[in-house]
Amino acid sequence: MEFKYKKAMVIDDNEIDLYIAEMLMATTGFAEKVVCVSSAREALAYLKSLNADPDSLPQFIFLDINMPEMTGFDFLNEYQHLPENIRKKCIIMMLTTSLDEDDRTQAESNQFVRKFLNKPLDRDKLAQLTAS
Amino acid sequence: MAHQPTYQSIHDAFLLQVKHKSDRLMNYFLVGFFLAGLLLAIFYDTWLIAAGVGSLALLAYYSTKVLLPGSNTYQYVVSTVFGIFMAQYIYQMHGLFEMHFIAFIGSAILVTYQNWKLQIPLALLVIVHHASFGYLQYIGYDKIYFTQLDYMTLQTFIIHGILATIVFFICGLWAFQLKKLNERMIEQTYEMGRFQEEELQKKALLQSNDNLKKSNRELDSFVYSVSHDLRAPLSSMLGVVGLCEMGTLDPFMQKNITLIKTSIRKLDGFIIDILDYSRNSRLEIDHQEIHFSDLLTDVSNNLKFMGTDDQKKVDVRTTVRNGVPFYSDKGRISIILNNLISNSIRYQNPQAPDPFVEINVNVSESAADILVKDNGIGISEENQVKVFNMFYRVSDKSIGSGLGLYIVKEAVEKLKGVLELRSEIGKGTEFVIRLPNLCS
Repeated sequence: MEFKYKKAMVIDDNEIDLYIAEMLMATTGFAEKVVCVSSAREALAYLKSLNADPDSLPQFIFLDINMPEMTGFDFLNEYQHLPENIRKKCIIMMLTTSLDEDDRTQAESNQFVRKFLNKPLDRDKLAQLTAS
Repeated sequence: MAHQPTYQSIHDAFLLQVKHKSDRLMNYFLVGFFLAGLLLAIFYDTWLIAAGVGSLALLAYYSTKVLLPGSNTYQYVVSTVFGIFMAQYIYQMHGLFEMHFIAFIGSAILVTYQNWKLQIPLALLVIVHHASFGYLQYIGYDKIYFTQLDYMTLQTFIIHGILATIVFFICGLWAFQLKKLNERMIEQTYEMGRFQEEELQKKALLQSNDNLKKSNRELDSFVYSVSHDLRAPLSSMLGVVGLCEMGTLDPFMQKNITLIKTSIRKLDGFIIDILDYSRNSRLEIDHQEIHFSDLLTDVSNNLKFMGTDDQKKVDVRTTVRNGVPFYSDKGRISIILNNLISNSIRYQNPQAPDPFVEINVNVSESAADILVKDNGIGISEENQVKVFNMFYRVSDKSIGSGLGLYIVKEAVEKLKGVLELRSEIGKGTEFVIRLPNLCS
């Protein structure tokens, strides 16, 4: 099977949503490897651990907003302090159920966020990403 | 909170106080007048007059007071009684001129009631007394003791009369002015009380307004988390159902999966409607610049995947003419457009070869005119009012929550706009909305 990207990461506290993303990306050939983490803290630790090995960094990060302890926006605040060679490798997509206007504007005004997506992730939404 | 007394109640209470104080004084004065009569009796041995006339006068006063407790008649009686005492003393002192001053003492005492009219009986009595006794003396009647003079000239009589009139007039004037002054004071006291009361109320209102704002904010964050917690599992379900759909080619399974998806979407739509409704009813109106083209692109992108598989794709045509910037509430306008356009997609006419919804926006300095027009199934005349009712659905085949147009109406009203609906069954529906430009 041909894969569009080598690696994608999904940050979500909901196990089922992680499963959906993983299955979709595998079956549609979006990414060869999908890293699923259930908290923003875990994601930051993972990204930092690959500082020396930028080629292994995920090209796409799918980030949930409403998470306990550290929200998606908290993650973005921490993310800007990461070394530049990590930041320039990754494209961040917000993936949330939130329909709140403020959430959308806040996400879209963030320099690291490419797009604001509403859950659930499906084939069409992934196809749009690869097309653009 | 303290009850604010009315102006009338303060006024009445004050008058009652004046009356009680004056009535008490009157008791001392009348007893004094009576005793003075007895004292004067020593000079010319007028004991019978002093006791007789004096006690009759007191009897007249106290009986009126007892018999007519609700009226002020006794005050007029006391005015008359002062005149009688004057006449009695003049007689007792065999016309001693100084006894005429008694009338002036009485006149001054009456000022305490603050009623100029009380001077009238006293003045009348003095006039009648002087006129009759002066005449009697003039025609030479003996032993009436009006003056010490044998004969009072007309000139003296007139000067006497003028001076008396002036005294009565001035005492009446003081009574009147005292009353006016007190009324003004009462008015000021009342106004001050009312002012304090208003200040208190204003403070209380501000306080409750603050509380309301706080509870609105709390309720809003409550609604936010509830909607997230309700919608998150739904989207998970939709995602998993999507995976199932990808994994099967069985038409039976696919049909069932479509039904599940429809139900989930319907439930989700209902939650979103309730969320929109509660946001619209509570949140304050935002003033921000509205870019209709962007807004319409967002809305139509969100609705891209709407409609069932057997429905045709509805062509969304938008025209925006905006020469001037338009300010209003983005959230509410997006709710309005979202509901109207999704209705056009949902209730498209299956007979129409090219289902469309046309959105025309015309922005001027005063308002934005929004037209949303489709060639859908239309709304019958009898339903054109009812569709704006809460939870009203035209038929049980209607897919929505029955909240959509109700929310549209509410949101337009919140933005102080007007809304008009024109529709014909089988032809299409047209919503005309005018929203004021909230620049400033």
